[in-house]
Amino acid sequence: MMSAILTIAEAGRRIAARQLSPIELTKMQLERIHRLNPQLHAFLLVSEERALADAGAAEARQMSGQRRGPLDGIPIAHKDIYNTAGIRTTAHSKLLQDNIPVRDAHTVKKWADAGTVMLGKLATHEFAFGGPSFDLPWPPARNPWNIDHFTAGSSSGTGAAVAAGLILGGTGSDTGGSIRGPAALCGIAGIKPTYGLSSRTGILPLAFTLDHAGPMAWTAEDCALLLQAMAGHDPNDPASVDRQVPDYTAGIGTGVKGLRIGVVRHFFETDHRASDATRAGIDAAMDFFRKEGAEVRDITLSPAADYHAVGYLLMITEAFALHAPWMRERFMDYGELFRDRVALGATVSGPDLMQAQRRRRVLCREMAAAMENLDIIVSASQPGEAPRIDALTKWANMEKPSFTMPFNVTGFPAISVCAGFGAGGLPVAMQMAAKPFAEPLLFRAAHAYETAMPWRGRRPAMAV
Amino acid sequence: MERTVSTTMIDEAELTVLLTRSGLKLTPDQVRAILPGAELFRGMIARINVPLPREAEPALTFDVEQQ
Repeated sequence: MMSAILTIAEAGRRIAARQLSPIELTKMQLERIHRLNPQLHAFLLVSEERALADAGAAEARQMSGQRRGPLDGIPIAHKDIYNTAGIRTTAHSKLLQDNIPVRDAHTVKKWADAGTVMLGKLATHEFAFGGPSFDLPWPPARNPWNIDHFTAGSSSGTGAAVAAGLILGGTGSDTGGSIRGPAALCGIAGIKPTYGLSSRTGILPLAFTLDHAGPMAWTAEDCALLLQAMAGHDPNDPASVDRQVPDYTAGIGTGVKGLRIGVVRHFFETDHRASDATRAGIDAAMDFFRKEGAEVRDITLSPAADYHAVGYLLMITEAFALHAPWMRERFMDYGELFRDRVALGATVSGPDLMQAQRRRRVLCREMAAAMENLDIIVSASQPGEAPRIDALTKWANMEKPSFTMPFNVTGFPAISVCAGFGAGGLPVAMQMAAKPFAEPLLFRAAHAYETAMPWRGRRPAMAV
Repeated sequence: MERTVSTTMIDEAELTVLLTRSGLKLTPDQVRAILPGAELFRGMIARINVPLPREAEPALTFDVEQQ
């Protein structure tokens, strides 16, 4: 039996060539889960029976020449805010600890239709916001690069499970950075697509106007394959956009020559100074892009704190509007982090909310204008390596501006990729954003960068 | 047009009133646990409350250019 952790692209090629059995691959993943999850807490539920049934069906299609595509037979798992029919979906919360949906989320069904093998449900911050919490029915996920350290959130289980090779890819959701944060701290790739590109139907909401659904995987190419099976119009999602889904892998391997890249240097040098390793990683990436024929220059936007304030106010207000009925009756059934953060929504006035919505319009216009003569905007994803999980305060996410929130506020697509390792041996990351629906460009640039750098050849020690 | 900028100050009494008005009946200890966050949050609200041009309207419910 092989032991190396495969990417989705490579596993797909081997399955297509009948060099790899989906059942064998699934059993190997289940063995890894049973061995490593007691330390990582990435899975809240392992759906072993379902996984083996999915794998058997994929193998039957493989052997009969009826394979559905590059994801057929690929082991994945879903963040536990994605509804899964007949399989418990908890939002990592006591309030939903016995919740068993009757229908799959739209995107869960799409991945199942693509032939994926569903291994189970993954840890999240409570309702995609309250974490890392130690007062919930399940412990928080741990970072496989060092289990004393934070994964970031809220797609914490997906980040940990992909990095440790428990799954080849998984779902995340991103309201202020919940895909790109864990991707960054766990050293993987994760994309928040354009607002409206992938359906949120059947995903427990946090904030309607900021919520995005997207994939996380070891490489940008794998994210492209996963997004291909995730994107598309859903009339049941009011934000869903009805437009043709392009081939997300078409530009992969075509290089970056001619791309125009703007670096929002003030975000990570002065607004919220990132670590030496993060800044060095971004500088090295820009040197690479220049050498490959891209045009790179610095650009200036409003301070990151402006984007952060608008996004945070909208997120808290919308989340409070959603949760207020439960919070009035069952306040103490929420974890401390979620309930105390979201209760702040009670302090927002009508004029404050309207002002945030108007300011959002100004920031959207600013970013659109900045992108007129650019293809990609670069920033940090996180300020540095993962901090210790016991060193985070309840209000840490309000004290300094986020690098990811600007692209939730504007809805522009953004991907996080590993940009090296810091002094502590944990990953650092870079974020690239593009114009709405320009995901193919992001995959093209991210793939060029990943294949030129050595970072994709290094896995957490516990995983090898 | 300029509007009144929210103060960044909030004390336990004001926070209790706002929480109660929203239907959250919390103990003094529970309110005090939220207060440091409320102060930070007030800072964010103050940052948002700057003069904006008249054309800075919130998003519409549809985009006229969308096909």
